[in-house]
Amino acid sequence: MHSEEQFISVIKENEGLIYKVVKLYTSAKEDEQDLYQEIVYQLWKSFNSFRNESKISTWMYRIALNTSIANLNKAKKRGIQLPISETLLNRPDFTDGSKQEKVDALYAEIRKLDPIEKGIILLHLEGNNYDEIASVTGFTSTNVGTRLGRIKQKIISQIKK
Amino acid sequence: MEFEEMQSVWQEMSAEIEKQKKITDSIIIKMTKSNYRSRLNNIRIPEMAGAFVCIAAVFFIVLNFQQLNNWYLAACGITCSLILILLPVLSLRSIHNLQAINITDNNYKQSLSDYARGKMQFVFVRKLSFYLGAILLLVTLPVMGKLIGGKDLFVTTHIWMYYVIGYPFFYAFSKWVFKKYTKSTNDAEELLKELEGL
Repeated sequence: MHSEEQFISVIKENEGLIYKVVKLYTSAKEDEQDLYQEIVYQLWKSFNSFRNESKISTWMYRIALNTSIANLNKAKKRGIQLPISETLLNRPDFTDGSKQEKVDALYAEIRKLDPIEKGIILLHLEGNNYDEIASVTGFTSTNVGTRLGRIKQKIISQIKK
Repeated sequence: MEFEEMQSVWQEMSAEIEKQKKITDSIIIKMTKSNYRSRLNNIRIPEMAGAFVCIAAVFFIVLNFQQLNNWYLAACGITCSLILILLPVLSLRSIHNLQAINITDNNYKQSLSDYARGKMQFVFVRKLSFYLGAILLLVTLPVMGKLIGGKDLFVTTHIWMYYVIGYPFFYAFSKWVFKKYTKSTNDAEELLKELEGL
């Protein structure tokens, strides 16, 4: 049985993970808030099912990505939101404008990918190896490797257009 | 920008995010409370209200059915009642299906597959509801004309003519409405095919 304190510390430790998933799977500010809250809620609901057999981040990616997919259908059917601080979703604030531009461009390119590619590239950029990506996505490690090669090519050609 | 550069941009951004820890204990606790979710269930309220109106209309027709005193008015009354029962069932079922992804146990592949299936079903229900709604409009007019106004509109007006004139407009409108649905069905089908090939 996990406690509320443990959950809070897990979320605080990994808030960047939630932020990045939210940014990739939404395009409007209101959707960001909605998805952020929904992911935290779903993580809380599933927290007791986490058995320390895998890394906490692997479990969090799984829940966060599943919630994002489930949320694709609900985007326009929004309920009342909990007013959360705007700053929670407004970062990072790079002082260097060109860095911010690059981050925005990168998000824009990844958002253009289909959902299969989007999930795989996110996990790859986050530093997960093929086996870890496979355990979150349910694809085989070989498949992840093959797909990643194609996704990289696709992103590069998207940028060059 | 080459891929290696993208990777370093991502890492820099991640490091920056790590520096900017913003979430507080109280925000996390608020997000975990079930009353926030129960507010989300407000989404169902319009659908429930719609269902209530439909059922009330069915009761009205059934209770006054003896006034529909010829075969075509009776046929309209029966069709009208059946559609009024079917529409809310379809609508509530499609909402239930949209929420059917098992977030805790699914992997990403299963969730995508459930999402694509749900999407196709949703589009199918939308199309079906659109046609049922159009038929409902046709059959409601004579039924309510008789039950509320006491007139058989087929005898006292040229209602058939309006139907014939209105049909091409309805056909064109439905083509326009379904254009965007075709794309989302195709996307969902493609996604499913791809997932099945993996």
